[in-house]
Amino acid sequence: MFRTAEIIRASKLPPEGVAMSRHIDYIYFLPILFVTIIGTFHMHFDLLAGDWDFWLDWKDRQWWPIVTPITAITFCAALQYYNWVNYRQPFGATITILALLTGKLVTVVAAWWWWSNYPFNFVMPATLLPSAMVLDIVLLLTRSWVLTSVVGAWLFAALFYPTNWALFAYSHTPVVVDGNLLSWADYMGFAYVRTGTPEYIRMIEVGSLRTFGGHSTMISAFFAAFASSLMYILWWQFGKFFCTAYFYLTDERNRTTKVHDVLAYGDLARAEKAKLAGGKV
Amino acid sequence: MNAKNVLKFCMIGLCGMATLAFTLALDTTPAFAHGERSQEPFLRMRTVNWYDTEWVGKTTAVNDIATLKGKFHLSTDWPRAVVKPNRTFLNVGSPSSVFVRLSSKVNGQPMFTSGPMEIGRDYEYEVTLKARLPGHHHIHPMYAVKDAGPIAGPGSWMDITGKYSDFTNPIKTLTGETFDSETKGTATGIMWHLFWAALAIFWVGFFAVRPMYLIRARVLAAQGDELLLDPIDRKVGAILLVVILVVVAIGYFSAEAQHPITVPLQAGETKVKPLPVKPNPLVVDVIHAEYDVPGRAMRINIRATNNGTQPVSIGEFTTAGIRFTNKVGAAKLDPNYPAELVASAGLTLDNESPIMPGATVEIKIESKDVLWEVQRLVDILHDPDQRFAGLLMSWTDSGERLINPIHAPVLPVFTRLGGA
Repeated sequence: MFRTAEIIRASKLPPEGVAMSRHIDYIYFLPILFVTIIGTFHMHFDLLAGDWDFWLDWKDRQWWPIVTPITAITFCAALQYYNWVNYRQPFGATITILALLTGKLVTVVAAWWWWSNYPFNFVMPATLLPSAMVLDIVLLLTRSWVLTSVVGAWLFAALFYPTNWALFAYSHTPVVVDGNLLSWADYMGFAYVRTGTPEYIRMIEVGSLRTFGGHSTMISAFFAAFASSLMYILWWQFGKFFCTAYFYLTDERNRTTKVHDVLAYGDLARAEKAKLAGGKV
Repeated sequence: MNAKNVLKFCMIGLCGMATLAFTLALDTTPAFAHGERSQEPFLRMRTVNWYDTEWVGKTTAVNDIATLKGKFHLSTDWPRAVVKPNRTFLNVGSPSSVFVRLSSKVNGQPMFTSGPMEIGRDYEYEVTLKARLPGHHHIHPMYAVKDAGPIAGPGSWMDITGKYSDFTNPIKTLTGETFDSETKGTATGIMWHLFWAALAIFWVGFFAVRPMYLIRARVLAAQGDELLLDPIDRKVGAILLVVILVVVAIGYFSAEAQHPITVPLQAGETKVKPLPVKPNPLVVDVIHAEYDVPGRAMRINIRATNNGTQPVSIGEFTTAGIRFTNKVGAAKLDPNYPAELVASAGLTLDNESPIMPGATVEIKIESKDVLWEVQRLVDILHDPDQRFAGLLMSWTDSGERLINPIHAPVLPVFTRLGGA
């Protein structure tokens, strides 16, 4: 079904090398790459969009669909660069969001549910997994990061609200308490006391988008899509910057050349060839 | 590494372990409250002056109702360093949501969202709570000011008995359904999370079952990507794309069908009118105030004029939720008020006789107790704006209470001689 055998042959690695590369895959893939993404991205995401994701009463129709995708697409783009450009692997965004969600669930279960005793529904995170998979698939199908930044990033943001409406639509059901109209989410935020998070902390429904009446969600989603597109381009370039490795080669005549093909460094034959060619690979 | 270095590292490790063990042996008592004393005195004394605070239902069973109520005065001596109360929220200071808040009213008006309040005016609040988590909890009223932070009021212990598993909080929606706030939406949310996670794991796993990194990097560097772009990947990707879009659409429209009536989150502003100003026949001006550091006493010289028709007796000085009373004030004390916040004989006057109608007198008031230090109010002396504020309470012969907000700069007295 797969071209695995041909790819292994083309790699010209001996069987021990192939076995070793698989061990490296397993060691690197889960314990190192995945956990590193959790450790780095989870913190960044929470600092930028954490409250919208933590609390049910922050999930409004204006800021939540703007802030969350724009923040989430950052590491997705960088990890896509790393996985696609170096390995042609189209799962950079998906693994990023899987790691983010894993980190979120650790926080939700350990900090909010077990330690702080908030009910699970009050602190349930949103999901970006469909958006991330679509971003990866668009990259795979188009093989172009530019097209992905236009089509994929737009879909990434635009799918966010409808995906999560299936999880959180109930929280917009109207409730009347003490003669006041609230949404269920407002009621939850009121009922479950947060000593350090008074009501005014919420950044919801603020700004002139409210003047668009019932269409503010749609406009928020389009704005998020546009901004996500720009953010994707920026973070793809960040990925490029941080994934670009090189070394300097000094030949017998003491001429030093910058060599970008890092694989050559580990490959004595190629390094020797590079040396003989005066640093040109 | 030579033997000497090994020994060195072993010694450092042993010292570390000994320090840890010593620390644990010294301090093993759990902390129950939440650091209210660490709030700067100027915040606790010069912003919100709490009074008449009551914790009704100090012991309740899970699902029982308790009430937190009282009054507060927003000090006219509001510090320059603190943002004015243009957007505020009456909150409850508790270790997590041990109670569920059913209702919160300020001057009779429900306060679900925050709003502005007026400096120099008084407000009455009542918060209805439903016991949720069993335990021994320290509960405060709390006044949160946007851009300034939460300001804790006096705290008292409230006990909840029973089992958390018995807790329910059913709420009827406007569309006629009844949801339990503890569980509504949990199963649906988890189901969707699991579904999308399974699909995402399938997508990553689809590539993880094949060589992932080193081999592909070598092939890409040597031959380009033609071999690596397996046609099956594109086919599976295209199918998955369609599946995702269809499932998202199904999820969205089924949620719409299930919840056809929805409202946006409510983000308004509660505008509460302050309590009407009661006529107060007693006029009090602070002439001088000093804090005696070794004596743990605040000495306040006032000039008081009684414009009323009845004699008035001073009985209490309260600030930061701490109450200093003399015999007059002690007789009026609520016995349920936390004893650790009361200095029942902590107030002395150089002239205890009532202020007669029409009289203007100068009185030296001393509020003296170790509470100044225990509650860390003495830190006012480290403040760049050394002032105090509080409420002076007095009673007429007929029992009517008069409340006079007082505030002034405080001079420190560092020796007993200096304060004499």
